[in-house]
Amino acid sequence: MRTKYLSVLSIAVLFGMSTLASAQTYGPYPITLEGYSGDKADSTAYTGQAARQVLHTSLKKLASQGDGSNAAELKQQMMQYFSGKEEGRKIIAPTSRDGFTIVQSEVDQISKGVNLKGKTYKGVVNGWPGKMTGPEVIEFMIDKAANAKRGFDPVTGFDYPQLISKFAMGAVFYHQAVDNYLDEKLEADNKPNDKPYGEGKHYTGKEHSWDEGFGYFGAPAHALDLDANQAYGIAKMKDQAVADYNQDGKVDLYREMTYAHAYYAADSDKAGTDYLRAIFQAFLDGRQLIADANGEALSPSQRAQLKAHAETIKTLWEKVIAEAVFKYAGSVYKDLEKLQTIVETGGNANDTFRAYAKHWGELKGFAMALETGGKDLGEVGTRMNRLIGYGPALLGGGQVTGIDADGNYQIGGAKDLGGYMVHMLKLQKLMDDAYSLQARKNDATGDLEGLVNSLSEGAYSEND
Amino acid sequence: MLPIIQEVMADWVKAFLDPGKRLFWGYLGSALLIALLWMILCRQDHPRQAFKKLFAREIWFSGSARADYMVFLVNTLFMGSMLPRLIGHAAVATFCFTLLHEIFAGRPILLPDVSAFSIALAFTFVLFVMDDFARYAVHRLLHALPVLWAFHKVHHSATRLNPMTVLRTHPVEAIVFALRGALVQGICIGVFVFCFGEKVSLIMVLGANAFKFAFNVLGANLRHSEVPIRYWSWLENILLSPAQHQIHHSIEPRHLDRNFGVALACWDRWFGTHCYSEPDQSLRYGLSNPVANPNSFYSVYIHPFNEGARHVQATIMQTGHWLRNLSVASHNLFCRKTYHENEPS
Repeated sequence: MRTKYLSVLSIAVLFGMSTLASAQTYGPYPITLEGYSGDKADSTAYTGQAARQVLHTSLKKLASQGDGSNAAELKQQMMQYFSGKEEGRKIIAPTSRDGFTIVQSEVDQISKGVNLKGKTYKGVVNGWPGKMTGPEVIEFMIDKAANAKRGFDPVTGFDYPQLISKFAMGAVFYHQAVDNYLDEKLEADNKPNDKPYGEGKHYTGKEHSWDEGFGYFGAPAHALDLDANQAYGIAKMKDQAVADYNQDGKVDLYREMTYAHAYYAADSDKAGTDYLRAIFQAFLDGRQLIADANGEALSPSQRAQLKAHAETIKTLWEKVIAEAVFKYAGSVYKDLEKLQTIVETGGNANDTFRAYAKHWGELKGFAMALETGGKDLGEVGTRMNRLIGYGPALLGGGQVTGIDADGNYQIGGAKDLGGYMVHMLKLQKLMDDAYSLQARKNDATGDLEGLVNSLSEGAYSEND
Repeated sequence: MLPIIQEVMADWVKAFLDPGKRLFWGYLGSALLIALLWMILCRQDHPRQAFKKLFAREIWFSGSARADYMVFLVNTLFMGSMLPRLIGHAAVATFCFTLLHEIFAGRPILLPDVSAFSIALAFTFVLFVMDDFARYAVHRLLHALPVLWAFHKVHHSATRLNPMTVLRTHPVEAIVFALRGALVQGICIGVFVFCFGEKVSLIMVLGANAFKFAFNVLGANLRHSEVPIRYWSWLENILLSPAQHQIHHSIEPRHLDRNFGVALACWDRWFGTHCYSEPDQSLRYGLSNPVANPNSFYSVYIHPFNEGARHVQATIMQTGHWLRNLSVASHNLFCRKTYHENEPS
């Protein structure tokens, strides 16, 4: 009897393992371009996007390297990673460390001649003072970061590495994917599937448009093999074995790394959502549909299906960013709670204020990112920006209210810490109402809803 | 079977399986046990006789009891899923929580060194007490305002009491109860979470508020029964006995508007409506001026609307009349010339 059970168990384990091993990866996909005679065998290509992912991670790292004396040099270096296209740029982050070996050490090893600026949202960013466009905002922040020690300005409470990173993720990756590749490039006459994406390319217009959207999302190609903690852990370089899908002993920054919003989707998923898998699956389904068209122009019904997948991706991607706004509004709220106590007891607020500034930078960056998705956020956007303001509420009262003609911040207003806590509460409610959030990490209302649910007896017919 | 029918039937069954509800089988069982012990030990009844009295046909199959069963079935059918959607406890709690931030310019966490259990115990107790007070206050309003009395009298039209009478409630009254619950629970949660943060939780027994569980398990179902269990006087000053609530249902003029409370007697004592139980009390229940056929569907569900509307109309007319009088008086006071002004010079 025991032998029988063991056999059944072994079969089940083997079946489970084979299922696991056969989980679909994003690529490789066959060449479908009619008339292609080159030696390429895989039509999947998102190297430019992966290169921009490492330009972003490198730029973030550089933004925290100011020491007060290297401003000009640091700014020039940061600009290389934002607007430059020159060869030989080193990957500043992520880099190999003990137990986590990375294949590439230079951006060119992934893709040559790419930058972030060319792909940055060109509209005016309402959440930042000065009526600047997306590239202007980032260049302004780069300038300020170069002049700040470790990227932090204690006068305004601005944490530039966080501001630059979270906004750039939206203004470049989210914007390009949802407002370009998964939007206008899905139209029949834009990058059609029966023509190469560009002259001499081995992939079709639609194949590459879809791949580019996927590359900007930032998921490893084997994301379906991973749970939320594993996908999240890759970006933190926790476990090489999890990242190294092809088992060559190294982690490939093109296909095996978690970046940007895929990382934040995994972060939400740790609280029970399923954003990463759902977005990834929609990318897979869309790509399969394009591959199945076998190099022919997509029919109206195929394009309708493709657009449905794109809509799923756009909706969930926006939710991932909104979840992050919610989460960091909660972090800021908790920091304010601590700061109030420190101020009242006359303690040293330096470390807490630093953490507060970091969380505020993340909050602000994500909130500004929401604006770049190509749709008018309307009242939600206006209220979101008003509740956050241009800067964090400062210990002595007030916050950044604008920028003067010389590019200096103006600080004013009477916003105190307590009033700003109320803003964070309202911001979380706004995000929840507008986006029907599920993860709701760092909910500032604590367990209000849980308590309410534990009390809802539904026994209102009971008389006295 | 249609899902809606399945849902309603599940709600009917759930009323007896959910420890959050008064008619949970465990509470009914404990009430039965208490009643039996009381009848055998205090009344010297033979067990068989006690059983016979408790399950008397004239109580459980009376027209009044049959109306109780009808109300239970009909209310569950039409209101089971509606009320929870109507009332936003969470909205009240969140509003209160946010408002306190604005009033106190932030959020000072109180008593950071006090244990989570102590906070939970305090929250559970305060919630129970506040809820009990709100029940008393709303109950008095139901008797005091004619328009509300039109609906509450459905409950008082029961001429025989049994545990199911607790659910003999007009839907309008149920909405009032739901609003009361949302307000009290929302405010309590909002204030406690604001003051004590994540330490706030509810101490529960079998999924019900621990104090409410104790109240129910100690024979709350005997309030609506004809078993006049009394407490010692000192205890009836603290907790209302089943016999005291039966006095509330009595049609004796001297019992009119007495014992509005639910668990605690202090509210009745402080507001002058307290009445001790009486030895060997034998009461008649119902309304002093009963409506015709009080147990019919029409009397239970439709008639209260007619009567309520009449009261609203009368109030409007009375207000109009009062405003007209006020207007005439103002005119006389400020606009008419005085006698002296009309005197020829």
